[in-house]
Amino acid sequence: MVSQPAKILNFLRKQKYNADYELSAKQGADTLAYIALLEEKLLPAVLHTFWVESDNYFTVTKPWFASQIPFPLSLILPGRMSKGALNRILLTRGQPPLYHLREVEAQIYRDAKECLNLLSNRLGTSQFFFGDTPSTLDAYVFGFLAPLYKVRFPKVQLQEHLKQLSNLCRFCDDILSSYFRLSLGGISPAGQETVDANLQKLTQLVNKESNLIEKMDDNLRQSPQLPPRKLPTLKLTPAEEENNSFQRLSP
Amino acid sequence: MSLVAEAFVSQIAAAEPWPENATLYQQLKGEQILLSDNAASLAVQAFLQMCNLPIKVVCRANAEYMSPSGKVPFIHVGNQVVSELGPIVQFVKAKGHSLSDGLGEVQKAEMKAYMELVNNMLLTAELYLQWCDEATVGEITHARYGSPYPWPLNHILAYQKQWEVKRKMKAIGWGKKTLDQVLEDVDQCCQALSQRLGTQPYFFNKQPTELDALVFGHLYTILTTQLTNDELSEKIPLPDTW
Repeated sequence: MVSQPAKILNFLRKQKYNADYELSAKQGADTLAYIALLEEKLLPAVLHTFWVESDNYFTVTKPWFASQIPFPLSLILPGRMSKGALNRILLTRGQPPLYHLREVEAQIYRDAKECLNLLSNRLGTSQFFFGDTPSTLDAYVFGFLAPLYKVRFPKVQLQEHLKQLSNLCRFCDDILSSYFRLSLGGISPAGQETVDANLQKLTQLVNKESNLIEKMDDNLRQSPQLPPRKLPTLKLTPAEEENNSFQRLSP
Repeated sequence: MSLVAEAFVSQIAAAEPWPENATLYQQLKGEQILLSDNAASLAVQAFLQMCNLPIKVVCRANAEYMSPSGKVPFIHVGNQVVSELGPIVQFVKAKGHSLSDGLGEVQKAEMKAYMELVNNMLLTAELYLQWCDEATVGEITHARYGSPYPWPLNHILAYQKQWEVKRKMKAIGWGKKTLDQVLEDVDQCCQALSQRLGTQPYFFNKQPTELDALVFGHLYTILTTQLTNDELSEKIPLPDTW
């Protein structure tokens, strides 16, 4: 079993899946450097926003996480991850001998904002970081930015900053729409048609039923009581399934 | 340093020019200083030389405890004390000297990214080698770290420091790494730096920047320090520019 992004990427590379064929050696080196930058400057703030900031953690992250893992792990694991995140932040950023969160918070958010600015400068107006085709670095950056961009938190200072950097937002939206197949506005056009068709069918059925009910009323006194008729249930169509899974994504 | 303190220091720094008696403090060169601290100290010295700022190096056994952030080296300029390369670069910039002013925004971003790469990979590998590799710890690190202090203080301090470093390694996920994996990471890092440098004299063409100072500090120390195993120094392809 392979966990952690770097190991997963290495594993895929050994299986001969590689997003970086088009890159020159220098660009490969740049990839490594930017990944280090992200891990050093942006990761502490992201960890803090998700796992340490109490408003965010208790209203969003913990229920979301706990809903996907079985009991009793749902009671233990989120707490452990939260402690691990806090630990990591304090040990890498805190100044000994006092490891206080308050002093570190301001610093890590400042670093994260600087890092976002640097990424925005580097991306400029191009579609991906190295031209027109995506590469490992794009995937890495997307992995960090997309949750920050999309998840609705009570305390949102980093998200606000990100939303001001329009090219990074455009970058996330592009990748979401091309690679994740869930459109952001609502249901996709194909889904819309099936919903319309279903609505039509439903209306027809309801009309038929109301006619039948009228006739039944007339016949009720003369004939023996008929067993109650159930309305035929509609099977979940792909559009409705899409709706459900979309709701699951945004808590 | 907290943000308020940093802003305060910058304000004051801007007011005065660089004095003649600026000093840099590090641990004792011959007996006490360790690989990672030596690298950091050399990087700062190189940076100040590149800026043509005079600095005197003073060795003190308790340099680590004198430092405001607990890390060496630190410089004492006028009546301010600034530690670590990042804040020192900013401090020097506030005084009006900078090596990276000529760079564009994208190049500045690249420079910062590469500095983080060096810190992330090389520095962490050095720390790992010094404090988590049992052979090195036993033979070299413990003896050196506690050398200025009497027994039993030397042992206590060395163990305390080792515990701290191991905690940090565990928090960032390096606790489970073997020496080979660490060396592989160093290899990758050096290759990346080599690719970026290419055939230029410095990383950003004709002018040296703080990135050059940092890389020089680390590489020189790794190449010239004797450890129990020489694998770390073998990983560096012999550069012909230093």
